[in-house]
Amino acid sequence: MDLSIVSFVQIIVSVLLVIALMVANAVVMVYIERKMAGFIQRRPGPYEVGPYGTIQAVCDSMKLLAKQVFVPGNVDWLLYFLAPVTAFLPVLLLYLPIPFGPYLTAMNVDDGILLILAFAGLGVVSNLLAGWASNNKYGVLGAARAVSQSVAYEIPMIMALLSVVFLTGSLNLTEIVDSQGSWPWQWNIFAQPFAFFIYLVSLIGETNRAPFDLPEAESELTAGFHTEYSGMGFALFFLSEYANMLLVSFVCATFFLGGWKGPFLDGFWWTFIKAYAIMVFMVWIRWTFPRVRFDQLLNINWKWLLPLSILNLWLTAAILKILSKIY
Amino acid sequence: MIRAVWDNIKGLYSLIVGLSITARFLFSPQKTVHYPRKVVDPESLSSFRGPLELTPAADNSAQSRCISCQACVRACPGHCLTVVKGQGKAPIVWTYNFTLCCLCAACVESCPTGALRFSHKVYMVASSRQEMVLDLLSDLEKNAAVAND
Repeated sequence: MDLSIVSFVQIIVSVLLVIALMVANAVVMVYIERKMAGFIQRRPGPYEVGPYGTIQAVCDSMKLLAKQVFVPGNVDWLLYFLAPVTAFLPVLLLYLPIPFGPYLTAMNVDDGILLILAFAGLGVVSNLLAGWASNNKYGVLGAARAVSQSVAYEIPMIMALLSVVFLTGSLNLTEIVDSQGSWPWQWNIFAQPFAFFIYLVSLIGETNRAPFDLPEAESELTAGFHTEYSGMGFALFFLSEYANMLLVSFVCATFFLGGWKGPFLDGFWWTFIKAYAIMVFMVWIRWTFPRVRFDQLLNINWKWLLPLSILNLWLTAAILKILSKIY
Repeated sequence: MIRAVWDNIKGLYSLIVGLSITARFLFSPQKTVHYPRKVVDPESLSSFRGPLELTPAADNSAQSRCISCQACVRACPGHCLTVVKGQGKAPIVWTYNFTLCCLCAACVESCPTGALRFSHKVYMVASSRQEMVLDLLSDLEKNAAVAND
């Protein structure tokens, strides 16, 4: 890639757009999440602030901005303030290779999914730093859980994505979308239903969402690794959590659901519709199932998802080899 | 091994059942009543245990059935009742401290004349503890006056 002034401007603009998308996504998702939680429990959810409570999330974020940043004694100052930043910054990079539309890709790199998976791992480091630096027993326990969970769930996730990569023969996300058709039966979800299922389970584990939200299990760890964070520090963790949710939804839409291709008219709207459908599904799951125990969480991963994903990968490779011999 | 696999497949089915239940609830009507704009239907409050009130006598709605026997005062675990006997059997003071009451109904069950019952006051508020000490005799008279008007 040449570093001309055009590509420089392109990257600056796209990073700004990504920041805008992250903040807007957090506000919208908080509203959707609270409304859906309310409806599932047969109550109205946020209702009083603005028409149907639409301004509630904006008011909450204003409160969060104005809140005092309270730092407890005996924290490791450098790491304590570095942790929210390391949670937030890699996410900006992660959105760059995602093809939102046919011409709407910030950075069309050949190893797009490799870039995403490599930098998504940094989120775990920020959780570990936050839990360790805040010098709190709940923080350390939450951080330890976050690390063992994220490291475990990354493996079946990568295996599931790898089986799609086997089909396409490319790590470039734009080429993966190009290899799929407009109609649902031409999407990779029909070629790789097991990989889709494994990815769906492990993305909930990877983003620390209920029922796999062990690192921040309220009933046993108060708030886990971000117990000692308030104000903007907490806001950055919160933003990056929702941004990570949106990111895995975009990757899922790109890999399994045809990306920006859809019936009747291709375009960026299909990417957003699919990604937000997955987000709503994640919210639905959160308000349906109780939290699993930690040994159950790791058993699901190591005893079921990992062998299944290896089997799926092996079958994909074998069938592809046989097909290539025949034709 | 086969049994474990089968159990897990059955477990997956139970997840789908759970999701279908919440999906049904998502689109079913809500139970919440938006209080200042709407109030709860009084019929559905018939089993609500509000603060105690005195049951009016059969012949005179301003008079209580109380015979000042002190059975409720002795039965009360929170010592929230004060009954003072006047000339004859009728009480002259009947105060009830709602801040100490645990709504256990020991007084209601111990009353030999059925003079006590739970009211259905849902919207009771007070700005001080003193307002929570209720004079049930004067409340009974007020209720009778409202009923007569």
